[in-house]
Amino acid sequence: MALDATTSDAITTDSIPADSITADSIRTESKPMTDTLTLEAADTSSTEMEESTRDASSIEMQGLHKRFGRNTVALDGVDLVIEAGEFFTLLGPSGCGKTTLLRILAGLEEADAGRLAIGGRDVTEVPPHQRSVNTVFQSYALFPHLSVRENLAFGLKMRGMPPEQREARVAKIAEFIQLGDLVERRVDQLSGGQRQRIALARALVNEPDVLLLDEPLSALDAGLRSQLQVELLRVQKRLGMTFVFVTHDQDEAMVMSDRIAVLNGGVIQQVGPPREVYEHPANAFVARFMGHDNLYPISARDGDRLTTPLGVLRGEAVGEGDLLLIRPETLDLLPGEQQGDNRLPATVTERLYRGSHAEYRLEVGETTLQATLNNRGRRLPEVGDRVTVSVAPEDLVTLSE
Amino acid sequence: MRKRTLKRSLTGFWWFTLAFLYLPLAVVALFSFNASNSAARFTGFSWRWYERLLGNEEILSAFANSMVLAIVSSVIALVVGCLIGYGMYRHRHRKLGWLIVLIYLPIVLPDIVFGISEMAFFVQVHRLTGFLQPGLGTMIIAHVTFQIPFVALIVYSRFVGLDPTLFEAAKDLYATPTKRVIHFMLPTIKPALISAFFLSFTLSVDDFVISFFTAGPESATLPIYIWGAIKKGVSPEINAIATLMIAAVAIVAVISLIFSRRRQA
Repeated sequence: MALDATTSDAITTDSIPADSITADSIRTESKPMTDTLTLEAADTSSTEMEESTRDASSIEMQGLHKRFGRNTVALDGVDLVIEAGEFFTLLGPSGCGKTTLLRILAGLEEADAGRLAIGGRDVTEVPPHQRSVNTVFQSYALFPHLSVRENLAFGLKMRGMPPEQREARVAKIAEFIQLGDLVERRVDQLSGGQRQRIALARALVNEPDVLLLDEPLSALDAGLRSQLQVELLRVQKRLGMTFVFVTHDQDEAMVMSDRIAVLNGGVIQQVGPPREVYEHPANAFVARFMGHDNLYPISARDGDRLTTPLGVLRGEAVGEGDLLLIRPETLDLLPGEQQGDNRLPATVTERLYRGSHAEYRLEVGETTLQATLNNRGRRLPEVGDRVTVSVAPEDLVTLSE
Repeated sequence: MRKRTLKRSLTGFWWFTLAFLYLPLAVVALFSFNASNSAARFTGFSWRWYERLLGNEEILSAFANSMVLAIVSSVIALVVGCLIGYGMYRHRHRKLGWLIVLIYLPIVLPDIVFGISEMAFFVQVHRLTGFLQPGLGTMIIAHVTFQIPFVALIVYSRFVGLDPTLFEAAKDLYATPTKRVIHFMLPTIKPALISAFFLSFTLSVDDFVISFFTAGPESATLPIYIWGAIKKGVSPEINAIATLMIAAVAIVAVISLIFSRRRQA
């Protein structure tokens, strides 16, 4: 059976230059191209290929539990729905269960309890080689005994696609990720970035329902990493495939994701788009993991007036919860002492100058407070300066421990 | 100045070691071409001992026995040892101390103890069941038992050297269990299998003690024949056999070296 024409068109290299792209522009400009995922199975007789065409698939998890040995709980009841065509990130510290969850999606690990459906089909008991799911491994796991071309063709060959079609698909994907001239190389002749792309291509060439990525960028240096972040995002938007991405890096998660699930101790702490998770963390763990340090217990409430170690602050439409979160970038530092609502007298104890902005550590009475100021040509307060911190009521967020 | 003297004496030591290792072999090779019967004086070049060799039915059958024994036992040991090596790899996280010792034991056990035990065992089995009459069959079994640990350890160490995620990548890329063996595991451990085969083969051809205790009247191998012949006095014919064996081993060594070079290139 021939490769579907729409697929051929989807995988071309004419693309927007990488540097003109930001995550937001991609997100708003391009719609998921679900029609590009049409894949005609090479071997329709084999059971896992019974659907001859496929769209991006949703993933439904219900009550997933996983325990290693007696004492280590990796997953403690995970319920989660990942929409079709979504770039979804599992975020958390090491040992939070994110990798275990990914491995359960891949079928490399079996859940002790719970159900998993991909594209509406229950795959809880289906072995990995019968799932239309492919993984980009952290170590890339390229086969050392095969050339790049043979690595790329491995999945298609295992599914029984005839050699000519296989070669055509491999050539196309190699061109798509701009590695066409490397296909004859051996794996150990490639750089880290090239291996990463080959690993991605080896998974993508199978046109799976879902692509799983296990910290695929963590072994790369910062520059290459941000370049590949953009590339990965572009690939996902072009193909409209469901991507499930695992990382412990909250910046990476925010840049890449449509939605993020923050995990800790095998439990999902919060699920939401990056802005929501960053600006309205569900609890103290999420807040700290997203990099927030300005968390203060609320000792008393009087309507919108909150009593905290910083003093009494007025909020606006603050929610429930006994913790106050103040994001450092919402603060303003005014020179000298100024009286007023939501104004706090402070002393600068530390300043980290970062060029585009400066990070401040301030002393307010007995407590410390962190603030970030954009470097907009105004005078940046120095260490030792007396300043007044100004907080806008609408920027105050409350949450529970 | 001092450094140069040291370097020169080290170079000298190197040549001395080489001479120590290879001079005896050179002497054997030289005398295999001796025109006279003497083991002391070289009187001229001749092919006569080699011609005598080719006409000697006993030697030819001993050679054939050696080859059949080496090839059959190496192939069996390769299959069984490979499975054991993979099993050791799969269960490497369990406590396997006693099992590893059991695997190593045949390697460290003196050949003569091993040979005598095998012989006693085969005699008992033969007495009770009528099977396992001493001969090529019992020799093959005995050789396989001492080759297995080498094969298992070589295969095991190759698997341990692999990125464990490769196994998962093969599963993830739609390979069924059978296809994983054919398209991933066997090709990946091929270099280990080749060197394990050559090692088993050499061990088998070299072995005298274990073969001696487990052989039957019809199944003399080359080493056994040589040992028997030497009892009647050293004939230059023996030198010719020894020289051929040296040549054969050298050729095998060169082939396996070329193989491993090509893997690395």
